[in-house]
Amino acid sequence: MIPTSHYLVVSLLLFTTGVIGVLTRRNVIIVLMSIELILNAVNINLVAFSQHLASLDGQIFAIFVITDAAAEAAVGLGIIIAFFRNRQTLLADEMDLLRW
Amino acid sequence: MLTVVTFLPLAGGLLLLFVDEELKETIRRGAMAVAVFTFLVSLDLLAGFQSSPGEYHVYQFEEMRHWMSSPPISYHLGLDGLSLWLVLLTTFLTPFCVLCSWHGVDRRVKEFHVLLLALESAMIGVFVALDLFLFFLFFEAMLIPMFFLIGIWGHERRIYAAVKFVLYTMAGSILMLVAIVALYSQTGSFDFPVILQKLVSGRTTLTMPTERLLFLAFFAAFAIKVPLFPLHTWLPDAHVEAPTAGSVILAGVLLKIGTYGILRFCLPLFPRASVEYAPYIAGLAIIGIIYGALVAMVQPDYKKLVAYSSVSHLGFVVLGIFSLNAVAIQGAIYQMLNHGISTGGLFLAAGMLYDRRHTHVITEFGGLATPMPVFASLFLFVCLSSAGLPMLNGFIGEFLILNGAYLTNPWWATLAATGVILSAVYLLWSYQRLIYGPVTVEKNRELPDASGRERFSLAAICVMALVMGVASPLFTARTEATVTRILQSEMTRNTRYEAVQRPTGAAVPVSVPLVAAGAEGGKAGRP
Amino acid sequence: MVQDLLSRLGMQLPKEFALILPQVQLGIFALGILLTDFLLDRKSRWWNAVLALAGVGFSGKALWNLRNLEDVSAYHSSIVVDPFAVFFGFLFLISAALVILLSVRYLEIEDEHHGEFYALLLLATIGMMFLATGSDLITLFLGLETMALSFYVLTGFLRHRKASNEGALKYVLLGAFSSGILAYGFSLMYGIGGSTNLARIAQAYAERSPGDPLVLISLVTVSAGVFFKIAAVPFHMWAPDVYEGAPTSITASISVASKAASFALLLRIFCTAFWPIRPNWEMVVAGVAVASMTIGNFGAITQSNLKRLLAYSSIGHVGYMLLGLVAGTPDGFKGIAFYLLVYVFMNTGAFAIVILLRREGVIGEDIEDLNGLISRRPVAAILLLIFMLSLAGIPPTAGFIGKYFIFLSLIETGHYVLAVFAALYIAPALYYYFRVVVHAWMREPGGAARPTISVAQGVALAACTLFILVAGLLPDRFINFAGTTLQSQFLQMILR
Repeated sequence: MIPTSHYLVVSLLLFTTGVIGVLTRRNVIIVLMSIELILNAVNINLVAFSQHLASLDGQIFAIFVITDAAAEAAVGLGIIIAFFRNRQTLLADEMDLLRW
Repeated sequence: MLTVVTFLPLAGGLLLLFVDEELKETIRRGAMAVAVFTFLVSLDLLAGFQSSPGEYHVYQFEEMRHWMSSPPISYHLGLDGLSLWLVLLTTFLTPFCVLCSWHGVDRRVKEFHVLLLALESAMIGVFVALDLFLFFLFFEAMLIPMFFLIGIWGHERRIYAAVKFVLYTMAGSILMLVAIVALYSQTGSFDFPVILQKLVSGRTTLTMPTERLLFLAFFAAFAIKVPLFPLHTWLPDAHVEAPTAGSVILAGVLLKIGTYGILRFCLPLFPRASVEYAPYIAGLAIIGIIYGALVAMVQPDYKKLVAYSSVSHLGFVVLGIFSLNAVAIQGAIYQMLNHGISTGGLFLAAGMLYDRRHTHVITEFGGLATPMPVFASLFLFVCLSSAGLPMLNGFIGEFLILNGAYLTNPWWATLAATGVILSAVYLLWSYQRLIYGPVTVEKNRELPDASGRERFSLAAICVMALVMGVASPLFTARTEATVTRILQSEMTRNTRYEAVQRPTGAAVPVSVPLVAAGAEGGKAGRP
Repeated sequence: MVQDLLSRLGMQLPKEFALILPQVQLGIFALGILLTDFLLDRKSRWWNAVLALAGVGFSGKALWNLRNLEDVSAYHSSIVVDPFAVFFGFLFLISAALVILLSVRYLEIEDEHHGEFYALLLLATIGMMFLATGSDLITLFLGLETMALSFYVLTGFLRHRKASNEGALKYVLLGAFSSGILAYGFSLMYGIGGSTNLARIAQAYAERSPGDPLVLISLVTVSAGVFFKIAAVPFHMWAPDVYEGAPTSITASISVASKAASFALLLRIFCTAFWPIRPNWEMVVAGVAVASMTIGNFGAITQSNLKRLLAYSSIGHVGYMLLGLVAGTPDGFKGIAFYLLVYVFMNTGAFAIVILLRREGVIGEDIEDLNGLISRRPVAAILLLIFMLSLAGIPPTAGFIGKYFIFLSLIETGHYVLAVFAALYIAPALYYYFRVVVHAWMREPGGAARPTISVAQGVALAACTLFILVAGLLPDRFINFAGTTLQSQFLQMILR
């Protein structure tokens, strides 16, 4: 059986990938996808711990996180569409209307 | 009674709010009526004040009501010899502020008078508050009307001056707030007499580092207000930009709040720290005296000249306080009142000139004695009182301070005495340039002499100066008990600390001459 | 209401249901508004606002019935109704009511008056209330997301304004990012605690060694997520942009209610699970607090947009509130609660003035738009002065009492340096608040029209002003109200 720590390492890698993606990518769609990666890392963690601890709480939590990811994607994409309609761009560094 | 005096101006001001903005004359008269009425009511305090209160009646007209339980603040007011005269000074000067703005202020008249009266309330509140928190509250409340008075009705750079004034004062007072809260966490009370009692009886003792820090925090707030050199830079700006009434209030009363705070809080609460720092503070005060006088001498702007003379005169007061003996402190209190009257008068005169010519620059005037003889003579009287001519008020204060300072350290008195000479120089020289000589600017030939209102204001100031100059016992008798008490709490605590320290062989050397001088001074202060 | 109805229909509800009744009623009204919105024509959209206010009222009534409860856990201890939750619940409801009152006129001027606005606002409030009552990671996470998702949409509500689009996009990207980080931290907390219940997690943390890497990673990720939500430095970058872009009444809500809700979350987590490892985070929180006060107060000085200025000032206020947590004494927690309560009124009031400046064709967010307000609308100028004084913390306003408790708690615990820092930052704060006042009182009006005040706005402004003055002059009752939060079991445990 694969020890829990392996899952944690995978999840940590996924999490790091996601964070790097958010911080470096310019296209907002990719940024949104990177956030999904982070949430998936969370899910791996939760399920792995659930297995390890033999408690179902983690899996329930994971289902809620998946739901939340879907809601976030829906809202996020909706806002991106509104933004794109007004500005004709998807690049983060062209969001320069509000700046000090 | 004190509540009435404190909030009467504010109530009157709020009533004025209901008067139509267009009825300027009504508003002015109304404000005048409120201010005069407040003064009359406050005279009743003087009538009821007992010069030698019993042991248990340190504060008179005391009022004590529970206000809030957490923070435990009480509405605690009281009056002693020190605050009595300052309250009277405030109520005395305010009517003249209304008078001198009669023509000068023609814009947003209603707001001006409401703010002026609110300011008077806050200033009286500062002097009568016995709860540290309440004191702080009035101290802050004072800032806001003053900010607007300077910022709205001031001259060209008014907003800059107003903001500078508020920031300077605020920076100091916030430190004081932290110190007040720290004092509360040590003693469990905000009530000044209770805290003092706890400290004097030794139930609560502050460690030396704590005492030093707390002293400095309180002192910083008051030193900015005084203003002590080198924290004085806000003062010339505020004075020059403020409208006449603002300058009169600022010089007459606001600056006294600094020295009042030092006498009321710094000395009794932190005797060891104040003894320890006294030489340094006295040094700064002496620098302030001489520096202020020298800078005043070369000012081209008359208002700035008076502003710097304030730095110099207030230096005397601080020197008197930190000479730490009865004579000098009596002198300091006296000088506080004098400065209020004389400098108030000087600013009134400057305002009258400004109303006529819209400038404060000295060289724009000259030879005013010909067109304005009455003004010239009254103005001379005020100048002389500020310069400390014998028989007038300034002399008594300066004499007592120098006398007391000499007891503590002859050098202090010697150096400070040069300030007296310099003050005569800049005041008389500027007088000469303004009033005597040929008329250099043609416009000045046509200037009207002092109007009835102006004559009345200046004459009242002159009468006060004369009364204070010849009848000083009238005033000192009422402050004596307060001064003795301040020094007593100072002495008893210092001797007790000494007694504690003596077994270890390290006596505090400074406090020995202090006790001696204090005892001696107690006798000398009784005229 | 709901309970009466259902029991009359013969349906028996579990007793626990009363505990979430405030949220349920908000939900019913939120959904109801979505339906009634179809029935209303353009002119009568304000009925939506009335309905929303009614929802807040009923919810407040239900919450009022819970006020004397002491720590009742329910739904498998996923929620706990304690004085803490009730206090924060009232805070959110008050804020929601004020925002609804301020929104009607504003949305009409923006020509975006839709029922969804009120529905989303109520949904966000539900999320906040669950944040305050949650004692379980899943409840907290869902509450947070309900709130956040509603606010993402509300920020972008002015579809045709580019600034609003951009603010919403930044908010959703950074918000979702921070939620992800927070969720990652939660997953680790679950792993460490073996349960999603905060009390059990706290036990597990107490048994672990404080240097355990899992413990540290969970601490770092959860703190980062929470600091983001309260806009503390260094996770504050979104705040000025979102505040500027969002509809002004929503800005008020984000800066007040969302912040209070995030503080409830922060206190719940830090005072339960993370309390055993307090030495690990005490200095970090102190550093974050000082950094927030620095960036917030100095950042605000140079702003010329009022909403951005208030955004930076709110970052500064977060710093003050965090200091209460650093002190960690009853006075500190009471101070945070009272500060937040006052903050609801003073900050909403300040934004209300900005809303007044919005007219057809005038954005009214620039500090220059305030010029000469005293002659154009004296009442507004006087109220602005009161709000600014309270924000700066000048007595006798309520804002001062809030700061006082923070100072007191710091001094009691010997954090003198922090106390002096906190005090000195009042000076720059005063500078920029007075800059606003200077524009309103001392500059000449540039021919701008007189702002009008609608009845609803008048009610909201009056409520804010009254509260600030009354709580400043007679604060006892309000301090006791804030003090009730200390009765909550989780705070009792750590304060004992």
